Amino acid sequence: MPALNGFLWLLLCWLAGELIVYYTGIPISSGVIGMLLLCGALAINGGVPDSVAAAAQPLIAMLAMLIMPGVTGVFFMIDELAGQWTAIMLSLVVGTLLSVFTTLWLLKRLMQDDHAE
Amino acid sequence: MLSEALLQRLTATPLFAVALTLAAYLVAMALLKRLGRPPWLPAILLATVLLTGALVLTGMDYTAYQDGARWLTVLLGPATVALGMPLYQLLPRIRQLWRPLAVCLPVSAVMAIVYALGIAWLMGAPGEIIASLAAKSVTAPIAMGIAEQIGGNVSLLLGALLITGVAAIAFVSLVARLMGITDERLIGFALGVNGHALGTVRAFEIGSTAGAFASLGMSLTGIFTALLLPLAWQLLS
Repeated sequence: MPALNGFLWLLLCWLAGELIVYYTGIPISSGVIGMLLLCGALAINGGVPDSVAAAAQPLIAMLAMLIMPGVTGVFFMIDELAGQWTAIMLSLVVGTLLSVFTTLWLLKRLMQDDHAE
Repeated sequence: MLSEALLQRLTATPLFAVALTLAAYLVAMALLKRLGRPPWLPAILLATVLLTGALVLTGMDYTAYQDGARWLTVLLGPATVALGMPLYQLLPRIRQLWRPLAVCLPVSAVMAIVYALGIAWLMGAPGEIIASLAAKSVTAPIAMGIAEQIGGNVSLLLGALLITGVAAIAFVSLVARLMGITDERLIGFALGVNGHALGTVRAFEIGSTAGAFASLGMSLTGIFTALLLPLAWQLLS
């Protein structure tokens, strides 16, 4: 089972992330550190071993299902958040409109400059 | 509703919670295929509505469910690490475009947070809610880690991610049309930066170039925000 081998590599990267967080106290989640470590290890290796791909691909494909238990929680918080919904919705919807506008405007300018040179 | 005794027996192991989750997910996938995958209805939204319905019908309370579902959620750690693989595959594109990316990405990622938190703060939202909304443009597994770091509520954050993703999909196509942008690379990148995984799925429907740029935008926004937001939070509060 090459996937098990790959899964162990993912777990080792995650554990290394845990150790780094424990010893340095940096406020970053061990998953993100593990992700950067994996990316670095693959770059050093110069390719993705089949075993890592066999473990990583199904996990990434399952991500939506893995966050379902967390998302479900928000439906059980609706009463708790009564009175806050207008603020939450406005900040998310208007905030996203503004940030989409900012990104596209910036990119348009930057890509033009890049082509002009 | 199931009887108390039966529920107690079923929740003695995590298997019932895992089965409910798998069933809701697979039913949602099958339904979406029938509906032709409308962009305003993300798979995760339909799946969680079904799951919530199942919990209400069986009478299982959310904490008991959450306990059992830990069997699944524990995999989020290695799944986040697994994102290092697509990130590695995107490295050549990052090198190719590092100049526009180096300017656009930090500004976009920071402004996404500033706009949303500014509005929430002006409207008098309490601190815990503000902390829950902060990572609203970051892909879920990374965002959950950020919310835990800064003391937000993970469920509210995930709800915020859903709303942000759907809004970003609608607004990117609207704003791109208004600004006369047709370049797939720009549209894809904007979808990934603002709409995380939901935006990226949408970008892959537009085309593979848009999809690749959306993955790039999503990964970089996630990393940038994860590295800097908790630190900035500590300094500011």
